[in-house]
Amino acid sequence: MNLNLKPDETFRGDFSTRNSDTAILRFPFPFHDDKYMYAVNLEPHVRGGPTAAYDAIFDLDEHYIGECRDRALTLAEDPLRCQVLPHMIEAEWDTLELLMESLAFDYPEHFTLTKSGTDRHWVNRPLGLDRNFTFGDASSLPLPPFEYITRQVQGDFTLHDQRENTLFMDGGMVTSQADWSLNFDLGMTFHEWHGPVPVAHELGVFDRALAYLMRLPYGKPVRRLNWTLTVHPRLDTSPETYPIWGPDKATITPANVGAHMCLRVELQTLTRLPRSNAILFGIRGYLIRLDELVRVKKWAMRLHRVLRDLHPGIAEYKGTSRYRQTIVDYLGAFDDGSIISPGTGSEQASLREVTTA
Amino acid sequence: MIKSRPLYRPFTLDVSGRAHLVVTDQPELPEMVDLPSVDLEIFTVQTVSSEIEAPVDGNRRAFHAVVDLLAHLPRRLANDKIGLRIYAIGTEAFVWDVHNIARAAGLGSAEIHLTHAGSLRRRVYCAHCKTMSEDVTDNIVLCPGCGASLLVRDHFSRRLAAFMGVKVDAEIPGEIPAAESLYQ
Repeated sequence: MNLNLKPDETFRGDFSTRNSDTAILRFPFPFHDDKYMYAVNLEPHVRGGPTAAYDAIFDLDEHYIGECRDRALTLAEDPLRCQVLPHMIEAEWDTLELLMESLAFDYPEHFTLTKSGTDRHWVNRPLGLDRNFTFGDASSLPLPPFEYITRQVQGDFTLHDQRENTLFMDGGMVTSQADWSLNFDLGMTFHEWHGPVPVAHELGVFDRALAYLMRLPYGKPVRRLNWTLTVHPRLDTSPETYPIWGPDKATITPANVGAHMCLRVELQTLTRLPRSNAILFGIRGYLIRLDELVRVKKWAMRLHRVLRDLHPGIAEYKGTSRYRQTIVDYLGAFDDGSIISPGTGSEQASLREVTTA
Repeated sequence: MIKSRPLYRPFTLDVSGRAHLVVTDQPELPEMVDLPSVDLEIFTVQTVSSEIEAPVDGNRRAFHAVVDLLAHLPRRLANDKIGLRIYAIGTEAFVWDVHNIARAAGLGSAEIHLTHAGSLRRRVYCAHCKTMSEDVTDNIVLCPGCGASLLVRDHFSRRLAAFMGVKVDAEIPGEIPAAESLYQ
């Protein structure tokens, strides 16, 4: 796959990142229907889906270099964004192996992994890395194995140990999250870290999801989508930096909503790891400005309806109260009220040009 | 209901234990605790700077401060812990500190019993600078680390033995609601 990598993009400060037409068309739009409610919504994570974002096991795109750089900036400011409890060392190696093998398979022009016994040779051409190391020997890598490899992949990752009939969040690389803190949630059980989520507990969503994940077999990863709204294409919307990005939430006006407001979608993958029996949770985030998204007719109409009719508790939890009506008004201009088909695909081979008042 | 907050049980003796250590952050065990007629080792906190008189009962030990007690605990747990049950009675932050020290010393979670007694005051973790505020009784607290006014969220971390605090006026700086005294 040719990624058309952009050499220098920013996701803070001047927010220079933009989505190309290709990136817009491959966006994993999350809404099947005109209404949204929490559901377990897990499906097999096999290559292929409604857009090209589903074509690889761990999806990379044109923003790869910029996102890896943004992660490095965040880690330099706050090293505790990457933490793994000591008993998870086997899961660290599992993660490194899975990510290296997946990237080398899906993107052979960018990544190469050569194996001989426990000797490994890893080449990451976009980031200019060339490393010989010994699998299982942490001293042969410049960083702990989990941190070493997750600095080279887009999206956040958490590691989950399975014991005492639940899953514990016992590690993670979390630099592009929708307002949750790894340092605070580290070591929590499944129900504890989901504690603040409204409505879903009462629907039994978390009980069912946990029961399903406890039986997740090796070799059969699953995926689901989650979403929120973010002002600017900012990756680091963490509690840690809330004083930095919080003020943006009060700046949305009818004039700037299309250019500043982004839909953030997480393509979440859950993979059983072979040696540790832990689960690797991948949270691959995609940001799209509303004025990019409305170039797909169906997505503009559907997002309008979902946000207009969103459950008040969910709207509150997702932090949308300051700008939801402004977004609904903006998107409403693209919605003629006609019936649109179920499903998330764009149903367009190319993008329409859109001019807004 | 705070889903990340544990449910605490009243003090009851775990009869599967061979020895029993009761620790509290108060000068005496709370009256609600119905002491059984077995030998208990009891740690209390007197909060005095002067010398603490040795209690008549050799199995009781008083400490000058909570920190003093917690500092002593790992040494106590380093030896003679086979069949030991530990019971922590006190504020939420204290009982989880005891829990985490006991786990680090090798006790299993079934060997540790936590009873929340006394004040509802909270330890608050500043999400922005990681500083802890102790004994918080209001729902908004000034962080002694970074100076932010923190709204105390109903989200509890057992590992940090603390609730999360986030800047209350992050979106519109200076817009700080009146604090309410919710955690007496």
